Amino acid sequence: MSSNPGQEGAVAHHEHESREHASHEDAGIGRFFFGHVPEGVHGGLKQYGLLAIFLAIITFVEFVIILPEDLRGSSIVIAPLVILSVIKFFCVVAFFMHLKFEHGLLWQIFVAGLVLGLIVAIALVLLFGVFRPTPRAFSEGRQQPFVHHVEEAPHYEPLVVPTPAPLGAIAPAPAAGAAAGASPGQQIFMGAGGCSACHAIEGLAVGALGPDLTHIATVAESRVPGQSAEDYIRESIVEPDAYTVTAADEGIDQDFQQGLMVATTSSLGLTDEDVDELVEYLMTLR
Amino acid sequence: MAHAETAHAPPVEVEEATTTGINHRKLLMWVFLGSDCLFFGSLIATYMVYRGQSIVGPYPADIVDVPITTISTFVLLMSSFSMVMAVAAARSGNQKRLIQWLLVTIVMGCGFIGFQVYEFNAFRVEGLRYETNLFSSSFYTLTGFHGAHVTLGIFWLICITIIAARNPAGRPSGLDVDIAGLYWHFVDIVWIVIFTLLYLIGGFDAGPDAGHAAVQGWNWVTGLVS
Repeated sequence: MSSNPGQEGAVAHHEHESREHASHEDAGIGRFFFGHVPEGVHGGLKQYGLLAIFLAIITFVEFVIILPEDLRGSSIVIAPLVILSVIKFFCVVAFFMHLKFEHGLLWQIFVAGLVLGLIVAIALVLLFGVFRPTPRAFSEGRQQPFVHHVEEAPHYEPLVVPTPAPLGAIAPAPAAGAAAGASPGQQIFMGAGGCSACHAIEGLAVGALGPDLTHIATVAESRVPGQSAEDYIRESIVEPDAYTVTAADEGIDQDFQQGLMVATTSSLGLTDEDVDELVEYLMTLR
Repeated sequence: MAHAETAHAPPVEVEEATTTGINHRKLLMWVFLGSDCLFFGSLIATYMVYRGQSIVGPYPADIVDVPITTISTFVLLMSSFSMVMAVAAARSGNQKRLIQWLLVTIVMGCGFIGFQVYEFNAFRVEGLRYETNLFSSSFYTLTGFHGAHVTLGIFWLICITIIAARNPAGRPSGLDVDIAGLYWHFVDIVWIVIFTLLYLIGGFDAGPDAGHAAVQGWNWVTGLVS
């Protein structure tokens, strides 16, 4: 049998006589919260019953509190509900789990976890609910409509997030396939230039992060007034942000991301000749 | 572990010498419960973050049935009471009482799970699937994990009941029942928190902007501070 040495003696009145086990001494911090109760672990059958009735009454009171419909959700109601549930929580912990009568270390271990959990919860709510209340923006357009009282197979389109492949990785396969009759420009488009990772050309590439280039030579003629198709295409390659294609241009739902092409192509090191080849190739797409 | 020689005497716990003076198994259970606080804390926080963020229904007010859940909460709370009675019976070596109270606890635990199965099914029929909205995802995840905890507890208590019924030399010991009881009570207190936040407070959120008042209140407070 271990006995608790008297570090806490200054605060505690040592009433060991009613204790069956020395290890069941009051928890240090627990005693601070709950005061000193002389009963040992086994003394409380009646106490357990009374506590159960007390907890049942609290639950009933909680139910009564939320009955007035116009008060629901207001802080007048929330505050007492939180207080009552905290009381219930600690009653169960202190008496049903008899933490009140246990070694102080157990109390500290549990409170440590509880406080950490509380901090995590508060931090998350502050971070995503208060300072950056954005979850709704993410959910926008990604949820299914609600049909009352209808049971049917879920109908939704899976969310497809196009992922750009690493530029180097995509080179071999398509390049090999297209190599036979491919122009130098097309080879750069499918290979070293990495263009096909983001742009689609019917029958050749399926990228979806940038505009479809299937008919780019035709489109380019009229996109920027006063600029020839060739100049527009060249500018779009060497200085992508000079004109960013909008959703309206393409007849799609979402704008393309400004700056994405600069970010992904600036490190490629395409030479002027490469660009010439590319422009020549793209000018054939009518 | 040695056990009581006489049939009626309470099983004697042989306390191993530990540096803390606390039984290892009991210490382990409390450490687990402390860490489980973090687990549920995260899930509860997730629910609170997504509260009032769903843009399609059903919203909580459309489907949450607070009166029924109050009853199931009451049942779980009372199962905590029968659990302490079982622990007390085990401590005093009364096997018959122990089995009786364990069975009562198991029945009430099953009752609670029954309510939850009924609730989930009612929600499903109303059109609230796991992937329907942010409310449904966070709600099912949180209450589902709690239900899984309760189910595990029921299996645990059934095992102890079977062992007690066979009564091999003072098993289960008071400590065996005590530790299972700690787990059971913990599941109960987690539900106390869930019931308050998800049902009594969040259960009446109607429409996509419910719960935003709280956020606006916070914004008002942080606005004052800055």
